Amino acid sequence: MLNVTVFCFLASYLCALGVEWRRLYHRTPWNRALVLLFGAAGLVAHTIYLGNRAAQTNLPPLLSSTHDWMLVLAWMVVLVYLFLALFDRTLAIGLFLLPMVLGLVGAAYFVSRDPNAVVAAEAENMARVAGRVWTMLHATLLVFGIAAVMFGFVLSLMYLVQHHRLKRKHGRHDLTLPNLERLARLNEWAVLLSVPLLTLGMLSGVGLGWQMGEGSVTVSFNDPVVIGSGVAWLILMAFFVWFSQTSRRRTSGKQVAWLTLAAFGFLLVTILGLQVLSGRLGESWHA
Amino acid sequence: MKLQVLSCNHHSSQMALRERLAFSTQDQLSRAYDILRRSFPASESVVISTCNRIELYTAQEDADAGPNRDELARFFSDFHQVPLGEFVDDLFSRSGPEAVRHLFEVTSSIDSMVLGEPQIVNQVKEAYRVARAHDACGPLTSMLFQRAIEVSKRVRSETRLAEGRVSIASVAVGEFGKSIFDRFDNKTVLVIGAGEMAEETLRYLKDEGVGQIVVVNRTTDRAEALARAWGGVARPWSELTRWLAAADVIVSTTGADRTVVDAATFRVAREQSGIKPVFILDLGVPRDFDPAVGEIDDSIFLYCIDDLERTCEENRAKRNRELEKAQGIIDEATERFMQEVYYRATGPVVKRLRDEWHEIRQHEVDQLLARLPHLTADDRASIERTIERIINKLLHPPLEVLKHEAREGPPHGLLDALKRLFHLRD
Repeated sequence: MLNVTVFCFLASYLCALGVEWRRLYHRTPWNRALVLLFGAAGLVAHTIYLGNRAAQTNLPPLLSSTHDWMLVLAWMVVLVYLFLALFDRTLAIGLFLLPMVLGLVGAAYFVSRDPNAVVAAEAENMARVAGRVWTMLHATLLVFGIAAVMFGFVLSLMYLVQHHRLKRKHGRHDLTLPNLERLARLNEWAVLLSVPLLTLGMLSGVGLGWQMGEGSVTVSFNDPVVIGSGVAWLILMAFFVWFSQTSRRRTSGKQVAWLTLAAFGFLLVTILGLQVLSGRLGESWHA
Repeated sequence: MKLQVLSCNHHSSQMALRERLAFSTQDQLSRAYDILRRSFPASESVVISTCNRIELYTAQEDADAGPNRDELARFFSDFHQVPLGEFVDDLFSRSGPEAVRHLFEVTSSIDSMVLGEPQIVNQVKEAYRVARAHDACGPLTSMLFQRAIEVSKRVRSETRLAEGRVSIASVAVGEFGKSIFDRFDNKTVLVIGAGEMAEETLRYLKDEGVGQIVVVNRTTDRAEALARAWGGVARPWSELTRWLAAADVIVSTTGADRTVVDAATFRVAREQSGIKPVFILDLGVPRDFDPAVGEIDDSIFLYCIDDLERTCEENRAKRNRELEKAQGIIDEATERFMQEVYYRATGPVVKRLRDEWHEIRQHEVDQLLARLPHLTADDRASIERTIERIINKLLHPPLEVLKHEAREGPPHGLLDALKRLFHLRD
């Protein structure tokens, strides 16, 4: 088993971000190769680390601890980033996605690495297959939902930067971004995907609580993470209702981008913040 | 080895002269190569003929053979039936490393009228292809043109010389239009007025596959002519507000002496159109659109000619800043190319030296082995390998010195010394 630490891939991603910044001023094939090299090296170290964790806990990383699923989320974002960077040599996507990755990896550093109490209890009692399915569904839907939220956030930010450039009448210069029409369309997809994924993720969480009701671990809906996530979900729904009526309200693309940025930003801070603070806010079975 | 270029280009001559000296058809080029081959049989040649330059590159192994500048100028004169006195002062010639550097600069678009423009490399490739098709190329010109194409690729990838557009219409469509819209085939373009700039912009928009084109002009005839030329429709001036609402892209070049579309008129159009993005190119001087139109809502992107010119200027300045870097690449490539050419000139002497030494080796080995019949096949092979290694080791230092000397120029002195020292026959 290779000894890989969080620092290994955190440093790789940090270097990739540094070279991405440098590419703004010195765009050479060497810089692009360096970005891809650092990104790929980080991804390999990241994958090995997750593999090691899975072997240690005997659980898939998505189900193991908060630390692990945050790293799974960051891993997914890096995968998308490398795919885009490989196929579009000019797109400055790394400047937007890599800080998100670094934020996730950094946040993962501060959260619990112990297997979740509910999952650990299930692991001890292999007969509770139904509980395992609910847990898997809950974690998968939430991780994909949060990934969609992250991409929506990044796309809105890119839209605003591009809009600002066009309104200021500046040429393309160094920061190459997709056009407004494409960004708006992708953003719409991110919203349309994130809402059902997070809603189903919440509902599967309710199902999981109901399943676990009879088990050895007490699952309480008064859990601060559950309450905070519920509030965040309500805000997401309010945003979604507003979003679905934008064409009737004569809302401009810029207004949509601002509100998406605010709503998704709030959602990310709430969800990830609650994970970081869970355990410190009181008893939480999400810790 | 002799390599030279005779050029008549946009730096040295007027367009009228270049038109008279151009090889504009395939037939002309075929005849030109035919005459060149008959007149200068020892020489390789490549003709580059574009609207900005007519250049004739010649090369031959023997420095004393082949045409000189005057003979090439006379070729131009005879071929095009233009008296020599009318253009001889507008020609410039380069030879040796300067000719190589010139071709590298031309192919890398450093010598172009629009710095960094992308067409020239294709024109050079085509000229080289045509020369090869006419058997006018040889080893020197092939090496030179292939290297020029490689250098151009290197300049393009290692510098930002070709980045950023530098004409008003290309900046408008390429830098701004394509940053707003993903596709143009589902967009409606409204052209107000029928000026020359409108045509140029429409050319770029057509390249992007634009959908519907509507031309509105006070003079119906001109509107219809423009619409016909670009596959659009002409509409009367009275329908302007309606089409302002329907259009996604508006190109205005009326040449009117006052504002054609004020904020109030456009606000009415926006009431009808909703808040969809609209890209307005106001190419009129004075401006056709009130600047307040751009402030009506967030989805209106209004650009006047000054905005576009500013971006062109920034892009030109950025390309100029890359010149030094590109020049460095070209200097290095020229030096390396010349070293290879000079070293190549030592080839026949090196070959003779190797052949003679190996001949001696073979002779001595055969004699030795004849005296030692009891040796096994392995022993014989081992002896042959050892003597081969000795020969190669002895040859290595003089050949390295030769290679080193060739960096500075053709090592004639050293070649003569080798010939005399080792009795190498010509």
